[in-house]
Amino acid sequence: MSQTTVIVGLGSCGLAAGAGKTYQEFNRIRQTDKLNFALKKTSCIGMCFREPLVEIIDDTGKYLYGDVEISRVDEIIEKHIKNYTPVSEYIIESENFKSEDARFFDGQVKITLRNCGHMDPENMDEYEARNGYKALRKISDQNIAPDKVIQTVLDSGIRGRGGGGFPAGMKWKFARNNSSDKKYVICNADEGDPGAFMDRSILEGDPHSVLEGMMICGYAIGASEGYIYCRAEYPLAIKRLNIAIEQAREKGYLGKDVFGIPGFDFQIFIKEGAGAFVCGEETALIASIEGERGMPRRRPPFPAESGLWKHPTNINNVETLANIPWIVYHGAERYAEYGTENSKGTKVFALTGKINHGGLVEVPMGITIKDIIYKLGGGITDNKKFKAVQLGGPSGGCIPEYLSHTTVDYDSVNATGAIMGSGGMVVMDETTCVVDVAKFFLDFTQKESCGKCTFCRIGTKRMLEILTRITEGEGRESDLDTLEELALTIKDSSLCGLGQTAPNPVLTTIKYFRNEYEAHIRDKKCPALNCKKLLTYEVIPEKCTGCMACAKGCPVDAIEGEKKQVHNILQDKCIQCGLCYTKCKFEAIRLS
Amino acid sequence: MSKLINLTIDNQKIQAPEGANLLQVAKDNGIEIPHLCYHKKLTPTGACRLCVVKVEGMRGMVASCAIKAEEGMDVTAFDDELEEARKYLLDYLLSEHNEQYDGNYYDEFRDLKLRYGLDNPENRKFPSIWKELNYPVDDTSPVLRYDASKCIKCFRCIKACDEVQGKNVLSFAQRGITSYIIGGYDHWKESECDGCGECIQLCPTGAIVEKPHAKQINVENGIEKVRTTCPYCGVGCQLELWVQNGKIVRSNGVEDVSPNYGRLCVKGRFGYEYNQHKDRLTTPLIKKNGKFEEASWDEALDLIARKFKEIKEKHGPTALAGYSSAKTTNEDNYLFSKLVRIAFGSNNVDYCTRLCHASTVTAMLRSLGDGAGSNSIEDYENSDCMLFTGNNIIETHPVTATFVKTGKRKGGRIIIMDPKWTPLVKYADIWLQPKLGTDVALLNGMIRTIIHENLIDKDFIEKRVDGGMKSFKALSELTEQYTPDYVEKITGVPGELMQEAARIYAKAQKPLIATGMGFSQQVTGTHNVFSLINMCLITGQIGKEGAGLNPPRGQNNVQGASDVGASPFTYPGYIPVTDDENRQRVAKIWGVPYESLDGEKGLSTVEIMQAAYDGKVKGLYIMGENPMVTDPNLNHTLEAIKKLEFVVVQDIFHTETTPYADVILPAAGFAEKNGTVVNSDRRVLRMHPAVNPPGQARQDWEIITEVARRMDSSIGEYNDESEIWEELRKAAPIFTGINYKRLEEHGIQWPCPDENHPGTATLFLDKFNTPNGLGVLHPVHYAEQSEKANADFPFLLNSGRILYQYHSSTMSRRNDSLNEFANQAYVLMHEEDARKHQFMEGDKVKITSKRGELQTVIKVSNHVLRGELFMPFHYSEAPVNNLTRDELDPYSRIAPFKLSAVRVEKVR
Repeated sequence: MSQTTVIVGLGSCGLAAGAGKTYQEFNRIRQTDKLNFALKKTSCIGMCFREPLVEIIDDTGKYLYGDVEISRVDEIIEKHIKNYTPVSEYIIESENFKSEDARFFDGQVKITLRNCGHMDPENMDEYEARNGYKALRKISDQNIAPDKVIQTVLDSGIRGRGGGGFPAGMKWKFARNNSSDKKYVICNADEGDPGAFMDRSILEGDPHSVLEGMMICGYAIGASEGYIYCRAEYPLAIKRLNIAIEQAREKGYLGKDVFGIPGFDFQIFIKEGAGAFVCGEETALIASIEGERGMPRRRPPFPAESGLWKHPTNINNVETLANIPWIVYHGAERYAEYGTENSKGTKVFALTGKINHGGLVEVPMGITIKDIIYKLGGGITDNKKFKAVQLGGPSGGCIPEYLSHTTVDYDSVNATGAIMGSGGMVVMDETTCVVDVAKFFLDFTQKESCGKCTFCRIGTKRMLEILTRITEGEGRESDLDTLEELALTIKDSSLCGLGQTAPNPVLTTIKYFRNEYEAHIRDKKCPALNCKKLLTYEVIPEKCTGCMACAKGCPVDAIEGEKKQVHNILQDKCIQCGLCYTKCKFEAIRLS
Repeated sequence: MSKLINLTIDNQKIQAPEGANLLQVAKDNGIEIPHLCYHKKLTPTGACRLCVVKVEGMRGMVASCAIKAEEGMDVTAFDDELEEARKYLLDYLLSEHNEQYDGNYYDEFRDLKLRYGLDNPENRKFPSIWKELNYPVDDTSPVLRYDASKCIKCFRCIKACDEVQGKNVLSFAQRGITSYIIGGYDHWKESECDGCGECIQLCPTGAIVEKPHAKQINVENGIEKVRTTCPYCGVGCQLELWVQNGKIVRSNGVEDVSPNYGRLCVKGRFGYEYNQHKDRLTTPLIKKNGKFEEASWDEALDLIARKFKEIKEKHGPTALAGYSSAKTTNEDNYLFSKLVRIAFGSNNVDYCTRLCHASTVTAMLRSLGDGAGSNSIEDYENSDCMLFTGNNIIETHPVTATFVKTGKRKGGRIIIMDPKWTPLVKYADIWLQPKLGTDVALLNGMIRTIIHENLIDKDFIEKRVDGGMKSFKALSELTEQYTPDYVEKITGVPGELMQEAARIYAKAQKPLIATGMGFSQQVTGTHNVFSLINMCLITGQIGKEGAGLNPPRGQNNVQGASDVGASPFTYPGYIPVTDDENRQRVAKIWGVPYESLDGEKGLSTVEIMQAAYDGKVKGLYIMGENPMVTDPNLNHTLEAIKKLEFVVVQDIFHTETTPYADVILPAAGFAEKNGTVVNSDRRVLRMHPAVNPPGQARQDWEIITEVARRMDSSIGEYNDESEIWEELRKAAPIFTGINYKRLEEHGIQWPCPDENHPGTATLFLDKFNTPNGLGVLHPVHYAEQSEKANADFPFLLNSGRILYQYHSSTMSRRNDSLNEFANQAYVLMHEEDARKHQFMEGDKVKITSKRGELQTVIKVSNHVLRGELFMPFHYSEAPVNNLTRDELDPYSRIAPFKLSAVRVEKVR
């Protein structure tokens, strides 16, 4: 009988859900009870909604447990480890059992996330055991020329996963064709979209795949140094990257004549970003690495021609690079089997918002939004009505329910006015006000604008002012026209992607939900009952018991009524704080 | 020259260089496309978007500042749609902008606002929000004020600081609409901002304004602008002085004109205040019973003439001597030397050049035939190797340094040879830090490296060096003993580093050397420069465009004063006084008998004082010099000056020297002068008067001619300065082709043989100016310094300048702005020495040498080597020259200001 293995998911999401304590509890009981099971760490497998996750592997098979809070550890050890009786009520999936939640994995194809949640990210041997560094070894063994590698990347059809969607192979080719004594590879790990955590999960779960991707790129374009620009808010990712780089150096995978390829010297350094969203833009990112303030530069010249310290530079994001070893190892054809005509392969999405199964999914291009939300995502929380999905973060746009048959590929998503972006997918239900959502994203871009381009700097502020006043019932008839006018000038005359896309959330919500804006402006009403200033709170006389809880709680004394009498809310005093609504135990307060 | 292409802008057919900036092309052809962030000195930013145009074949409106002119381009710069877009954009910008305008600067933004009718609120779409944005004001700088509410984030200031001045002090803080400009990490005062004010000059909206006179100035009312040359160092920056009610209220750099192209340093921009300081001398003063009393000009001039004549009659012509001045014009200096030669009757005329670059000039004259810089200031921009020997160029020639920094940015390498850290070290590739006084050994080591690694230019040696390979062999043999180890032992410079520097220099295509006081002001000053020239000659790194040897000059007319003959050794145009033929030629021009002109060399600056000490010189005429601060071994100078029978000081202030005068004459200041000066790259530049001299102060040349006349000895009759120049250019062949008219627009670099000649940017292209046209090698050995540190005087003291003060500081210290930056004497001491001798930062100390003593305070700093000290020499309360020696370099008679053995003791 072989040893039982317990693997605890210790990504940032797991740790946030208490997985660290769960791990310690397993360890504590193992020591006090002198138990002989192996305790290992892994990272996130994407199922955020059931964290902490623990996988137990024994002779009878693999069991994935969800919601393993510290209090449940004892029970699982007692029953499963000591007595081989799996605790079925916590099991999400095992070889002969699939809970409803396990449908989350159905339809996913794990290429980028092939190792996430399946190995200890701090153990290089485990990476190598899962075909890690085999792509580089293949290049070395078969003496594959740099141009051939680039051709493979071109043939795979992979497009930049950071949002731009530019064919990665083309970028590599440009960088290769620009001759220079020094070239650089940059991994853009400055994931800044609210609600996006694809890159973080990859870095935390499979750092070596990113390093290997960078090294392949370095070999292909003729670079000798790589920089990973990672936001400082990702301390675990940085820690694991550092460990991985150190391991790769020790093993000679970084340094001189890497993988025995004569003349191929490669080093990787980490540069921590200081949290500016605009540094995700490639020229701003380069400026930041150079020690300048992270502000976009004019293109051309493009980085492939004159990038970091004016040398040819190739920048890809984390997700793109993590795919590269798989593509090179398995061949372009295997990758191109997935996806659509113009969008090959798979894409990772971070599902968040009003969805039952929030988490990280990897799906083949061409799947519909509906399938992602209902099949993988388990539908809308509390069975509310699905309203729209925001794709591409603050640079992206809103896709309404009636377009949910839209397939996920670059062309189809762009046709809606949204963008694929880096993969943030925020799901909204009927209680989400789209004006408020647009305001949220614009508030974000307005604050993150570097301040250089006039229209972006001032225009986003002015748009935010208008949106704010609309949500406060002060909107004017002309506001929609002004918003569109401002939006178009900002898009047209900004230097970088931030400005060029900042108005997208506003433009798409106006496009698909114009009547909702009009309701705010003309009727001073928020149909989603979300914008507080536009709400009225009323007492439902039939339900009110006169308990006075609401009146006592009201901070502005806007509720009158004697004990055991039906209360009344004075609308001219009410500040729509909503306290009465939450205080009432009899659901006697109505919103309208 | 790039190829010319044809394009059309608003139906106007235009020719422009291919690839030129489209906005600039339009501007140059009279089409003023509105813009704010663009400035032709800066790389385009593309932020303001006002310059949008339509280009046939391009989508939508494009920023013309970001487009290059191409063949066949069809551009629409003005139509209704574009104008509407610009108006919309201005409206936009105005909403975040504080529109208060107090008239003390040109507001390009306001002009556009008026042009588009946006001063009328009814024409505006966007309500103003600047007040709620709570923009900060940074008032901390001594010279400028930044108001973020007036800033449109055009980046001109940041780029002015980065790209033009190479200082990189300014940056952008915060994000989005709350962003604004900061100096350093936050406050201007705590930043590395040195107050050059380039940002002020390029700010289009008055967000950065200068503090002095801010309240008085109204740009639209009664400002007269006068172009002249800066009175400070030898860069010769062209200033535009703003005069209001007879007072200078601002100084801007003149754009588009060499040598500074609008750039200035803190002194050029804020150092004009002295000219109108209350301390200015306004009336002649005669010492009576030990006290100065006001006198009339007649009284003073008659007394001077009488006394000088008496001395001449009693003791002969050589008992009289004159100090001419690097701070006065060519015309003044020319007449002063004429006065000495004709009225005094000797060649006893010299000036402070003997204290600065005399050794450089001596070595250059002997080896190359000319003592002036071989190149132009702009050449630094395109040099691939810049070697600075004893030259603190950022502090002493700040505007030249901006070209150096541009050169660095373009890929040029910087090598510094200096025992003391200078700000340029931050930009340097290699810093060689030899012990004081060991330069010859270091250079011989470099020469040996070059020879051993076969980096010499044999062809050049054979064709252009006197004696060819034979002379080279002698040098090669002499330097053979200077192995890296040996050199390291003498100089303390790691042998490897010395070799690397040699390789970079020898392999460069266009290397430039800028040599300074650190090299020249030594007992071995001439030898130092001989070695330097030896290195130039064997590598062929001189006598070609962009390469050569340059001694940047310390004052605005050090070069000119020598050029026009204020020298005991040479006549105008560097013709030796001993050249009979020339004396005959000049005698004719001057209208004096040839025999009356002395053919013997005169006494040099320090020798004049020594002769005074010895009783050989009895009468001294000092024009605009302050030997009681600037001469070496001041105690000795004091003895000497006291022994003089009669001393005249002609100056603009009371100085440390005036107490020893018998008569003090009030002269005109720089802003009151008409005439010419010559800068470090031999460029003759105009001075124009902006204001009138105060009180009864007179022009120097007028005083000089009066003195001569009253000595019954005419040195010529002139109505104005141009008449003097006309005579001067006959006397000095290097100036023949230069006249005032030609100088109105641009300076001209001598030699300029005729009026159609453009001037000479590079010297020695075909031949050297030695008699046979060949360069001469002067192999020299390293010699130990006679002055050494010992038990009594354990430290070696170095002296020099700082950015904010200037020479004996009679000028610079009369500017509050400059004093706010730096106004205290100090001595730098290495921290290990400080620890060993238990000195703390700020300790009051007494410094003593064999010659004298002074008191100052300690600054602990590793900018000096252990065992060495450094003091700025500007402060008369701590006069470094109490400590220095008057032991002279045998060739050039320069004094070794850079090395004095001293001891340091705490003052209780």
